[in-house]
Amino acid sequence: MHLEPSMKQAVIRRTVRKFAEKRLAPAAIEMDRTGRFPWDIAKEMAGLQYFGLEIPAQYGGAGLDTISYAIVIEEISRVNAAMGLCVAVHNGVSASPVYVFGTEKQRELFLVPMAAGKKIGTFCLTEPNAGSDASSLETNAIREGNEYILNGNKVFVTNGGISGINLIFAGIQTGEKGKKFSVCIVESEREGLEKGPTEELMGMRGNPVCPIALHDCRIPLENLLGGEGEGLKIALTTLNGGRIGIAAQALGIAQGSFDVSIKYAKERNQFGRSISEFGAIKDFLADIATRIEAARLLIYRASDMKDKGLNHVRESAMAKVYASEVAVAAARMGVQIHGGYGYTKAYPIERFYRDAKVCEIYEGTSEVQRMVIAKSLLNE
Amino acid sequence: MNIVVFIKQVPDVPNIRIDEQRMTIIREGVESIINPLDCVALQAALELREREGGRITVLSMGPPQSEEALREALAAGADKAILLTDSAFAGADTLATSHVLARAVSKLRPFPDLLLCGMQTIDSDTGHVGPQIAEELDLPQVCGVNEIHVDGDLLVLKRLSEGFLDTIRAPLPALLTVSKELCPVSDLSLGAVEAAFTQKDIIRWAAHDLGLHPDEVGLAGSATHVRKLRQPAARTGGRIVTGSPQSIVDALIRKLESMSILDEED
Ligand SMILES: Cc1cc2nc3c(=O)[nH]c(=O)nc-3n(C[C@H](O)[C@H](O)[C@H](O)COP(=O)(O)OP(=O)(O)OC[C@H]3O[C@@H](n4cnc5c(N)ncnc54)[C@H](O)[C@@H]3O)c2cc1C
Ligand SMILES: Cc1cc2nc3c(=O)[nH]c(=O)nc-3n(C[C@H](O)[C@H](O)[C@H](O)COP(=O)(O)OP(=O)(O)OC[C@H]3O[C@@H](n4cnc5c(N)ncnc54)[C@H](O)[C@@H]3O)c2cc1C
Repeated sequence: MHLEPSMKQAVIRRTVRKFAEKRLAPAAIEMDRTGRFPWDIAKEMAGLQYFGLEIPAQYGGAGLDTISYAIVIEEISRVNAAMGLCVAVHNGVSASPVYVFGTEKQRELFLVPMAAGKKIGTFCLTEPNAGSDASSLETNAIREGNEYILNGNKVFVTNGGISGINLIFAGIQTGEKGKKFSVCIVESEREGLEKGPTEELMGMRGNPVCPIALHDCRIPLENLLGGEGEGLKIALTTLNGGRIGIAAQALGIAQGSFDVSIKYAKERNQFGRSISEFGAIKDFLADIATRIEAARLLIYRASDMKDKGLNHVRESAMAKVYASEVAVAAARMGVQIHGGYGYTKAYPIERFYRDAKVCEIYEGTSEVQRMVIAKSLLNE
Repeated sequence: MNIVVFIKQVPDVPNIRIDEQRMTIIREGVESIINPLDCVALQAALELREREGGRITVLSMGPPQSEEALREALAAGADKAILLTDSAFAGADTLATSHVLARAVSKLRPFPDLLLCGMQTIDSDTGHVGPQIAEELDLPQVCGVNEIHVDGDLLVLKRLSEGFLDTIRAPLPALLTVSKELCPVSDLSLGAVEAAFTQKDIIRWAAHDLGLHPDEVGLAGSATHVRKLRQPAARTGGRIVTGSPQSIVDALIRKLESMSILDEED
């Protein structure tokens, strides 16, 4: 059993941390304040292959293993969670299924520009009436000649405002009532695809999350990802991997919260001493650090299983639920360590607190993760 | 133009800590990085290769884990990496280090046109190694350059010295040590890091590959020996004296007198 990162993974972490601290950390405040996505920085990241993390080199990606992928997401999120979200969703649940389930032609057409960062990807499952219960999806597709015609409403689309390629989960109409749950690749410029206004989010404000509506949007049959009726398989496989990305994002937020909080604790004096000398503060620090380490190990284990081709449904769900709850706890304790200053925008910890919360919600709420874990335990 | 860049792996800490008993740097729990100025030298080499063509070889003498630094250099774009590693090299002073590095260079075919070093390291900071390699190989050397131009078989170099900007012409082959003003270092692409670890090889040379006798290298081949090593006392922040100019001067004089630095009669 190896519990140390490899030399390569150490270099990946250092490489990303250096870039993130130089470029992404300074941009985080502005992104949070204005909600503006920094295209200039994204272009630089594209040149450094941040948009093709796990995609093989032949399609222009970096070809990283999953632990390295998790390290990249963690290090970005450690200083800029909104950008971490952009990269995690683009790579983990958009480019990755196009690679895994796409035909060679679809890889050429869609994956290559995605890996190059020329087209940002989305994953559009959630609808107004279909959240945790994805089976009540209403978006439908009707086949007509060489085309599918799509109608429906998607909400909470991460990267929505900046996307070029969208994976739309829809039911393909078969006969009177029958529906085949499927995934359609819809380019943003297609007629009939309309993006709504950016959501006013509590956190992750640098990511333009928005609804996407489809009114008689026509796509060629070649834009179907996998076969008709393969939507469930694609969704489940993708989310299993995607949860590792969200877990890594949560880990980054937790680590970022910890790093700013321990620094503050050492600097702040009260009662003639550094507050880091008080037992209560030491308990916070020890507790957060321990939980962060546990989350990290869960994530690496799920990642390692994924790379070995083992079933990692339970491990991904465990990593996701645990890491996201650690992120929220770390940010909350971090605010507490900062006292009143933690409740102001003078320090980044309040942003970490707002950013952390959504990790417990998207890509399956904590409640849903526990259902997944329990199901796998009880079915054994 | 074939270029050799010398790379040293150093601990990544603003203040290194030392083990006073064993007289070594404490490396446990400390990440190792490429000496920052060596990244500048490598970047300069990449830019020269872009303009002049040729190949870049990176050389490092160090323990087996220095492989990481060389792989990072390959990720940045070096063509070939050679790790000079042998337990006999341990404990080398700057002279013994330079001797091994110079010998490795003399084994390269064709002999390189340009040799680049950092001006100094962040750990031992002597700035000896570059000049000593040049001496041993009998090459012209220019230290601390912040601009490099190639003009036929001449180098046109700039460096800042004591408030002057020197422009220096040097013939090739030559050895240069570089300062951080030379050029900004580019970020690594993640795919290049992946490829450097999965698709590239590191060449390893030990003392016998270089035809070196154990007496010429490492501790045995060192001209200097460490007698004693201690951590400098941490600097305690100074005291700020405030008040009117007259009272500040009075306070300072009293302080200097109390430390017997000024005589009371003066
Ligand atoms: C910032 C942001 C970005 C997002 N990005 C995307 C995206 O890119 N793509 C996408 O498809 N979606 C995205 N989502 C949507 C997200 O995945 C959903 O919000 C989430 O799955 C929950 O669905 P819901 O909001 O409809 O909540 P609901 O499903 O209505 O849940 C409400 C509450 O009920 C609980 N609950 C529901 N069912 C059960 C049950 N069976 N047992 C116990 N408790 C239950 C939930 O855990 C939750 O606490 C995003 C959301 C946000 C906020
Ligand atoms: C505890 C301790 C005690 C020491 N005591 C002595 C001593 O008493 N006498 C003494 O002479 N030295 C001593 N050293 C220095 C030690 O030998 C140096 O680490 C080594 O020789 C390189 O010197 P430097 O780091 O000062 O390199 P510098 O001369 O500052 O390095 C300049 C450039 O040379 C190149 N370079 C340097 N080292 C290497 C390398 N190993 N491989 C490839 N390129 C390299 C790099 O391009 C670097 O930027 C001591 C070191 C330690 C840690």
